[in-house]
Amino acid sequence: MDNSLWIALIASAIGTLLLRLLPLIWMQRHLTHRKSKEAVEEMPSWLSVFGPVMIAAMFGVSLVPSRMEPSAWVATAVGVGATLVVWRFTRSLGWPVFAGVMMYGVVILVF
Amino acid sequence: MSAVKNISARNPFWVGMHEAVPLLGGYIPVAISFGLVSIQSGFSVWETVVISTFIYAGASQFLFVAMVAAGAPLWLVVVMTLLINARHLVYAPNIAIYLPKSRWWPWLMHGLTDQIFALAHTRLPQLPENSRMGWYVGAALLAWASWIFGTGLGAVAGEELTTRWPLLGEVMPFALPALFLVLLAPRFTSRLWSITLGVTIILTIGFKLLGLPNASIPLAAICGAILYHLMKGLWGQGSKLDG
Repeated sequence: MDNSLWIALIASAIGTLLLRLLPLIWMQRHLTHRKSKEAVEEMPSWLSVFGPVMIAAMFGVSLVPSRMEPSAWVATAVGVGATLVVWRFTRSLGWPVFAGVMMYGVVILVF
Repeated sequence: MSAVKNISARNPFWVGMHEAVPLLGGYIPVAISFGLVSIQSGFSVWETVVISTFIYAGASQFLFVAMVAAGAPLWLVVVMTLLINARHLVYAPNIAIYLPKSRWWPWLMHGLTDQIFALAHTRLPQLPENSRMGWYVGAALLAWASWIFGTGLGAVAGEELTTRWPLLGEVMPFALPALFLVLLAPRFTSRLWSITLGVTIILTIGFKLLGLPNASIPLAAICGAILYHLMKGLWGQGSKLDG
């Protein structure tokens, strides 16, 4: 890589870090300024809604299979179902994910 | 999650690592793909690993190497990389209230990826305050290490791996939607949240199918947030509909 490319890489890395870091500093100052004991109430409501909807959006985008074939959609539906069923019974993190991946894999293999 | 609720008896660092293990199913295959694409775009192995180590943001890394390989102006490469990562702006403020005081937090934000945010947003409120930093460091470190490891593996042997085990790369990434689902399921606590989250999911799928893979997350999230406030305004604050 030449020097200009290194500069682009460093600028992208620092910029990405700042996108993650500056909002934290802003929020910490905001909370300190309010000196609130019930900090959740002090967080702007529009911002507190963004947490869950961002996770929902990441879930949605990750659901779309890389191959647009019926078998991939069936496998996705079966994997989601298996994940939900195991989560319903275990309320854990690991086992539902494991069950979902296994069932997804089985359907992909069968089709 | 109930199995680890009583975290005080266990080292929070290891609990964080343990709970981040499902992420590996999604991280490593994508990192291998990135390593392979980067080498094919003309970057060396160690340049590829440096990109993953310091930019550490999946979609924007693919864009970075693709635009450089296509000969795009470097200022545009940087702008597009940062635009794709702009969604990260809302992550830290959403977990800031759960973070105990420490001067290390700003640096630890390097590890705040989409998946670590989703995990932390769910788990940090359930943990005792003195365990949160250890938990976050454990989870974020495992994710970061797996991303760097996967990138290196992809750069060195990606072509052989994808040829020999094509199914592995296809099946393992399902760990990511499965993990997001597990993190999301407990939030369907009321009609208001169920409709908001359901519509957001459907919109994201729609936007992605329409050919907007990078814009789909922020677009659908903004629509979901607007819908939430509209419904809350219509139904009234403090309504039973809002769990």
